[in-house]
Amino acid sequence: MKLTYCKNCVMPNTKPDLFFDEEGVCDACQSAERKEEIDWTSRKKEFEAVLEKYRSKDKTNYDCIIPVSGGKDSTYQTYVVKKIYGLNPLCVCFEPTHQTSLGKKNIDNLGRLGVDVIFFKKNPEVYKKMVIEGLRRVGDNEWPNHVGIFTVPINVSVRYGIPLVIWGENSQLEYGGPKAAADREVLDRRWLEEFGGLLGNRVEDMLNVEGITREDLLPYTYPSQQELDRVGVRGIFLGYYFKWDARAQLEIIKKHGFSVKEDGPVEGTYTNYENLDEATVSVHDYLKFVKYGFGRATDHACIDIRNKRISRKEGLRLVRQYDGVYPKYGVTNLIDYSGLSKTEIDSIFDQFTNKQIFKVDTHGILVRDAAGNLIKNNYDNE
Amino acid sequence: MLKVRVIPCMLFNGFSLVKTIQFGTMRNLGSPIQAAHVYNSRNVDELVFIDLKATEEHREPLYDVIHEVIGECFMPLAIGGGIHSLDVIQRLLSIGADKVIINSEALTHPEFIERAARKFGSQCIVVSIDVKRNGRRFMVMDKRGATTTRHEAVPWAQEMHKRGAGELFVTSVDQDGSMAGYDIDLINAVVSEVSIPVIASGGAGKVQDIIDVIKKGHADAAALASMFHYSGHTANSIKQRMAAAGIPVRIVGP
Amino acid sequence: MTTSKSVVIIDYGLGNVASASKAFAKLGASVKISRDKNDINTATHLVLPGVGAFGEGIRLLEESGVIPMITERALRQKIPFLGICLGMQLLASTGNEFGVHRGLNWLPGTVDELSGTHIRLPHVGWNEIMIQKKGVLLQGLADRNFYFVHSFVFNCTDPGAVIATCGYGDGFVAVVEKGNIFGTQFHPEKSQVSGLTVLKNFLSYA
Repeated sequence: MKLTYCKNCVMPNTKPDLFFDEEGVCDACQSAERKEEIDWTSRKKEFEAVLEKYRSKDKTNYDCIIPVSGGKDSTYQTYVVKKIYGLNPLCVCFEPTHQTSLGKKNIDNLGRLGVDVIFFKKNPEVYKKMVIEGLRRVGDNEWPNHVGIFTVPINVSVRYGIPLVIWGENSQLEYGGPKAAADREVLDRRWLEEFGGLLGNRVEDMLNVEGITREDLLPYTYPSQQELDRVGVRGIFLGYYFKWDARAQLEIIKKHGFSVKEDGPVEGTYTNYENLDEATVSVHDYLKFVKYGFGRATDHACIDIRNKRISRKEGLRLVRQYDGVYPKYGVTNLIDYSGLSKTEIDSIFDQFTNKQIFKVDTHGILVRDAAGNLIKNNYDNE
Repeated sequence: MLKVRVIPCMLFNGFSLVKTIQFGTMRNLGSPIQAAHVYNSRNVDELVFIDLKATEEHREPLYDVIHEVIGECFMPLAIGGGIHSLDVIQRLLSIGADKVIINSEALTHPEFIERAARKFGSQCIVVSIDVKRNGRRFMVMDKRGATTTRHEAVPWAQEMHKRGAGELFVTSVDQDGSMAGYDIDLINAVVSEVSIPVIASGGAGKVQDIIDVIKKGHADAAALASMFHYSGHTANSIKQRMAAAGIPVRIVGP
Repeated sequence: MTTSKSVVIIDYGLGNVASASKAFAKLGASVKISRDKNDINTATHLVLPGVGAFGEGIRLLEESGVIPMITERALRQKIPFLGICLGMQLLASTGNEFGVHRGLNWLPGTVDELSGTHIRLPHVGWNEIMIQKKGVLLQGLADRNFYFVHSFVFNCTDPGAVIATCGYGDGFVAVVEKGNIFGTQFHPEKSQVSGLTVLKNFLSYA
């Protein structure tokens, strides 16, 4: 099966929830075009109105919550709220699966912006069971991480009585999705389940897996509608109010102590400034690649193309070189973390590989190049 | 008591799972394998997997994908899409499918149903009927809802029953993907005229819709897709409400 | 799970062998789908699957040539033997589907159409079994619903062998057990967790 690629960026049509128009342009590119037409001045005013509405008037509580990972986006969000608007945010970090030292350094750096950070150190036994089950069941070792990063900050919001939660980019706007979602500014449970990467698996589906109990799942359990209403929780995307440009934002935060990976790009892509905090993320990215035919390098190339930093031709070249490379380090780290064998991890990769998009030999066995990587049937429209 | 079944319906476009609206727009939901795993972990009653594009693309079912989907499943599986010969049925049954769902082939060659039932047994043969309302008539559709045939739903259902179908899978094209409720009148009309089990499909949006199609439509089973795909409900949470409404269901798990 | 169990699922041309095979594999047994003399002679457990008509079933079983071997292994050597669905029905003396046919006659009784007023046939779907006496297969069940798909039933005339019944129509025999001979009308390989429990119990019987 040949993949069809967006005429503008390099995303294939196999990406879930991506729509192509009659000219073959994907909706993420269309959103990027629409970004040019947005009245950002008026959006900025809207943002300021939201802040004014929700901040703690008598300063007895934090003004808002910022879910953070220590990564470039959340560092930028913190910078905007604290340094530009002078508010007092409570940053909430859900501990990564297997934190890198660079990740730790960046989280520590966040504090230096002058903010309080709650670092939620998860019950490692329970979490590990979900990493393994997520890997086996839905082909995503980062499944519990998606739940954690989207649920823990909301739980903190409810328990601390801080209604405003400021997220960064709206993934659907940046990466593509149904128009209604792309234009929404508000994050809620439905968004989480549809787009937050839960892959159809609910938190409750983890009950009884290796003895996981309801109490074990407390941090991952989204508050009830009553609790949300009581506090008046409102999650917003900063990317709705300000034109999102990851690279420009990176330059700003580097001046505030943010560190990038100095010894080369992150495995599976060509950039050295994203996904720095998680040692097993390349396994997650690789699974995406084998399921759908695009990996992290494609994501980054598409963003750079849409932000007019590279040409489509350059994007294609980067993708060919960096995308879908077998995640040696990620696998080693995952073995180290989980105790699973390489054989089992490889068999899970195979199980989720969609053979239709990769080259197979006459016996139907996947073909690998000299470096041991799969070969897509086509890397551009033919 | 024979339990009413709640059946997740996986619609496949040849590459990924999709959600459809009135058989038209297809929204790509991702890998069918992970969905199959999730349903299996939830101990669902049965799974329906339909390859929407097989007939249109003149190809056979994708046995590799189906094999993976069946892989970890220990509940009944009904596979549809591209079933045009006895060999295809044989192959599907041999890789672990329990039933096949036949649609367009029944319309072009109704005797195929007889031959298949005779060879494999009626219990393996499910005939799928897509229906669109035309005034007060229920018209049977072909080509995934694109063409109106000359058949009306009830007489067609009776004929399929006579030819040896073991079950009927009746889908309302109008209600498909709308999450606005099943077409109760349609289901009721078919159920009253046949004595084989009828699986209702198309339109489930809230638990009450399912309760209604069972109690008012008298369906033997309810198939649903959209309601499951957004993780809004699990089969168990739906069945608990059904049990409270007096419907016999199988509830397992935590 | 023990690895010393080797299951042979008798291949005579009928039955959902793939699913049964997967189920036993999941339970840790080594599984073969075969009609080979050697395999049958070395198996620790034998399974007779089957979906379809009695007449066709017994004919194919005869043609496959396995009957003498499985009779020897099950009746004389007392190897655990499980008949599933049609496989259980074939244990009967006679079957009355599309004519009168002789069965294996390992358990007395006939196979007749499921009787009852106003019932739909085939009996297909999940139904609850009623446990009549303690046996091997039904120990430790979390749930008593199993998946059935059949129109005919085994009217076993040895009451001691009837372990469970099901109330559909006028009621029928759901599970039989006599020493090392077992039979389930339902499909354990299609009955999720409950089904896997039944198969696990069968594997533990030695």
